[in-house]
Amino acid sequence: MKNSATILMAKTGLDGHWRGATLVCRALTDAGFDVVLKGMATTDEIVKAATDNKIDLLGISIGGHIDVAERAIIEARKIRPDLPVFVGGVVPPWAKRKLEAMGVEVYPPGSQLKDITDSASRLTGFTPSPKLPTP
Amino acid sequence: MTDGPARIYKTQSGIPLKASYSAKDIPDWYKADVDISPGQLPYQRGAFSEGYRSKAWRIFQLSGFGKPEDENERIKFLLAQGETGFLMEHDRNTADHMYNVDHPEVLARKEDVGLTGAVMQSVRDMDICLKDLPIETTFGHAGGAVVQHAPFALAGYWTIAKRRGIDLSKLPGTGQSDFFLTYLGCVTKQQIPTAAGLRFNADIIEFCDQHLPRWVPVSIAGYNGADTGLNAYQELGSLFANAVEYLDEIKRRGTIPIESAAKACGGVSFRLSMDIFEEASKIRAARRMWSDLLERRYGITNTKVRQLRVHCVTSGSNMTYQQPMNNIVRGTVMALAGILGGIQSLGVSGYDEALSIPSEHAHQMSLRIQQVLQHETNIVAVTDPLGGSYYVESLTADLIERSWAFFDQIEAQGGFLETLNTGWLHAQAHENQLDDFALQGTGEKIIVGVNDFREDISPFEIDGFRGVNDAFDVATERLADLRRTRAERPAADALKALERACKGTDNIMPVMMEALAADVTVGEIGDIWRNVYGDWATPEITI
Repeated sequence: MKNSATILMAKTGLDGHWRGATLVCRALTDAGFDVVLKGMATTDEIVKAATDNKIDLLGISIGGHIDVAERAIIEARKIRPDLPVFVGGVVPPWAKRKLEAMGVEVYPPGSQLKDITDSASRLTGFTPSPKLPTP
Repeated sequence: MTDGPARIYKTQSGIPLKASYSAKDIPDWYKADVDISPGQLPYQRGAFSEGYRSKAWRIFQLSGFGKPEDENERIKFLLAQGETGFLMEHDRNTADHMYNVDHPEVLARKEDVGLTGAVMQSVRDMDICLKDLPIETTFGHAGGAVVQHAPFALAGYWTIAKRRGIDLSKLPGTGQSDFFLTYLGCVTKQQIPTAAGLRFNADIIEFCDQHLPRWVPVSIAGYNGADTGLNAYQELGSLFANAVEYLDEIKRRGTIPIESAAKACGGVSFRLSMDIFEEASKIRAARRMWSDLLERRYGITNTKVRQLRVHCVTSGSNMTYQQPMNNIVRGTVMALAGILGGIQSLGVSGYDEALSIPSEHAHQMSLRIQQVLQHETNIVAVTDPLGGSYYVESLTADLIERSWAFFDQIEAQGGFLETLNTGWLHAQAHENQLDDFALQGTGEKIIVGVNDFREDISPFEIDGFRGVNDAFDVATERLADLRRTRAERPAADALKALERACKGTDNIMPVMMEALAADVTVGEIGDIWRNVYGDWATPEITI
């Protein structure tokens, strides 16, 4: 049983829609995960950060083209084949199917935060005890 | 069934609601205004007495993707389907950041290029995008929603107009140049500090006053604040706090009359959301607040200048990924809220908004929603149909009070731009989003198809619009072609002149016009911005 889990969160696109990503980061932190923020990053930067062995799960916020995120995932898995990945954002159904076929969990708009934190537990094998809400 | 706690009814922004309203709920300070006719000060019942009888609202849809010719084709499609103005959307990777396509940050994600706007690196690209469009007679949006990009987009559009022999003094249109967009809503990786942005917008206001009197130089977009999480009264309060930044700057400069600046700032946009009566009341409140603000703070008595013109867009974030056909209903409801409030211009988000940029059919549906409302419902016949409703009048008054309180909170912190610099405004928006999601999580707030009523038997497969895949390659070729074929001397001279203007205090727009005419690229101008102004210190809120 793990006693902590670290999630790397990054955005692939230069398009700065941060609304979804910040909500997810906050929910993961509140649930008791350690979150490392990478912000808007290139695929190379994401791969470099994600292949650090301290990272238990890679989260990508997709505001742009699916191919960019896909490239980051493929490259990261060349180094860490078992790295779990989940993504969120405006992912059209055709792209969602493509990513799911790669074993990536996809959380499009309308996903509930509880489903996302549950997914993080499942993918990391760590069930955190929620931190007390900050006053 | 056991009795749970009594449900508390509130507006979307949290204003407590009674089960019904009467004359007693209208505050004394507001009572006398209820009977004032539309077209009369202080205008909450309408800026124009005849409302939609004199002019129907403008059907004005955001559009753009791919290559400039893809965007041109979509705009022509929309105009042919009955759109009455048009908007150009520039590629966000290149435009928002003022990069050419060969910048390393763009190369690293080249598949993103052209995804949500056409790539326009020079006036040549804009000319393709505007091919055969009747810009002399149609209200056009030149792009340039982003502050640091606006001088480029505007100068490009105006240069093309001049080349087509159009008298700039008769050219209609706008370009937005909005702080809410990239300093609050979609914070970009790199952009000029807010003080430099304020200078650009004041320069644009002055330049339009002298050369383009029919142009709306800046259009403050509360939409971008609201869809980031600001509630109705925060949207109003912060929008007017933004307006006073421009007006105070123009007043300090003393270059043009304050009335001219007020007219320039009096075309704004708001978000329309699902709480019909609160949103309609918000539009009414906005008109009253603008009129009062101009009189009290700047002593403006010119009644025409005090008429606020409002564009609205229905909330993109209210459009759901699940059961997207339901969004046709949402678009209609939100549009109706704005029309009941008396707006002048409207965009309805696509039913596929949560999946992709709009497909042609989704775009057509956004037009059809507006056309059905305009032609089949008789809604255009009577101005301010909600006027005199105890509920709506009370809510309008309540929103005005709360909005001024929020405005004062911003002023007390050094003004709108300072609340962007410190991240205070972001935190307000963020808290609201968290609250909203918490309510959805517990089921207290139901979003149909999302957290309840999830079964869907729709026979329509909506898979998301895919756009085109050659935007990057074509942009790369065109950049190479431009470098090969443009006259280098005038381009280099224009860039030097622009850098000098940026370092000094002269208005930058005349030299921007020269630069665009000399085929200077967006990336070259961006390099000047970066050299002269450096980067905005982004507050700690974005990931």
